[in-house]
Amino acid sequence: MKNLTHSEKERYHRQMLMEGWGENVQQKLKNSKVFIAGAGGLGSPVSIYTAVAGVGNIRICDFGEPELSNLNRQILHDDKRIGINKAVSAKETLERLNPDIKVEALTDKITEENAGQVIGDVDLIIDCLDNFDTRHYINEYAVKKSIPMIHAGIYGMRGQLTMIKTPETPCLWCINPGSPPPVVFPVVGATAGVMGSIQALEAVKYLSGVGTNLLGSLLIWDGSIMEFMTIPQHKDQGCPVCSRINDIDNG
Amino acid sequence: MGCVLKKISFENERYARQMIISGWGDEGQRRINNATVFIAGAGGLGSPAAVYLAAAGVGTIIICDDGEPELSNLNRQILHSDADIGVNKALSAKDSLNMLNPNVTVRPVTERINKNSVESAVADADIMVDCLDNFETRHVLNEFAVKNSIPFVHAGIHGLSGQVTFIHSPETPCLRCVFPGAVPKDVFPVVGVTPGIIGTIEAAEVLKWIVGIGENLKNILLIWDGDTMDFQKIDIKKDPDCPVCGK
Repeated sequence: MKNLTHSEKERYHRQMLMEGWGENVQQKLKNSKVFIAGAGGLGSPVSIYTAVAGVGNIRICDFGEPELSNLNRQILHDDKRIGINKAVSAKETLERLNPDIKVEALTDKITEENAGQVIGDVDLIIDCLDNFDTRHYINEYAVKKSIPMIHAGIYGMRGQLTMIKTPETPCLWCINPGSPPPVVFPVVGATAGVMGSIQALEAVKYLSGVGTNLLGSLLIWDGSIMEFMTIPQHKDQGCPVCSRINDIDNG
Repeated sequence: MGCVLKKISFENERYARQMIISGWGDEGQRRINNATVFIAGAGGLGSPAAVYLAAAGVGTIIICDDGEPELSNLNRQILHSDADIGVNKALSAKDSLNMLNPNVTVRPVTERINKNSVESAVADADIMVDCLDNFETRHVLNEFAVKNSIPFVHAGIHGLSGQVTFIHSPETPCLRCVFPGAVPKDVFPVVGVTPGIIGTIEAAEVLKWIVGIGENLKNILLIWDGDTMDFQKIDIKKDPDCPVCGK
């Protein structure tokens, strides 16, 4: 375990005042490793707030490049980064916000074949993607390796979020089987900001062990009327992803 | 002329994805581009509120803070970084916001808000966002908001908890009706994600009001417990004897 430096103790002073937090918890964050899939609307607040909280090792992955029409929400990037890979641009922003953490920029497109290799050995996966095909690739790896995953999705002024930790909870396929066709959906930055910050909070709570995670229930947010709901989720006993993998494990 | 038109369509590309939200469109974006928002505080709440309002294209952002970023602010105040330590927060905010969206006019105010300075600080703002860390200053802003019928989005945080309400007197109670006293200011625990969530909710409330879509948190106090992810809405009522908004 790497110890905290004097300046880190100062940087994280206000959160270390939290009950049950202290130096040990901060050290745990410093030594943890997260994989953030996507450096777009959700990936921006997720990576920014996990970075400033002192999550020590951030692997952020995106194969795209920022476009002007991304900049109403993708606050990791700005006009000068148009044409640069998003993960590389993210690394630059995150290291400016917290020079004490390590950021690894991955420029791969995640596929069924390379998901495991790209994600690697991490403590937590955060789904900041914009399509269900890729989400299902990372879900399968998360289930197989028993790595918890925080899922979120947004549309317009609405969002959904849950933490997946199989076999304790349903997997993403149980909750959202299949993939709706990808579309250019409406979205405002504040939607991505609210849902992404909640994802970051779930991540920080999980890695620190402080607070209760959204396990087995789906948070639904409607920002137009500022309504939050949580809906219990159930495992699909015939789920082709998590029931099959559990069977293999058991047999 | 052709040049101007080209500039407009180029600018709309930046906002294209929000303009396809139902009820937003060209008119909603035009209102945003013409709006002036006053943000009181460039700290934990002010950071995400200002960032997302700038990204959405708010025409003029007046951001006010008399402090300077310290290392212990940087776990949450994402407008600032190590290089900004020692620079005034409103000035540092202007740099960050203009980098994110060069089309936004940012007017930094580096004075402390008090009874004498509030009028010139808020100036011609259409709406105010409370991103403060103390009730004394909040009550100064509240009084100004009530007197001038300016809408006022209030938020506060502590640890993993937060609260938000949309004040627009006389339609709603004012801040004094709901929080009559000035809670003593102390160094409270806070994780960056808490102001991240609450400050972004404030930005969403402002954008909805400017565009004219959805429903604002009027007469309702949203209380959020990030520990258990529990959201509650409490009905709040006017105090008929309120020294600020009562008769």
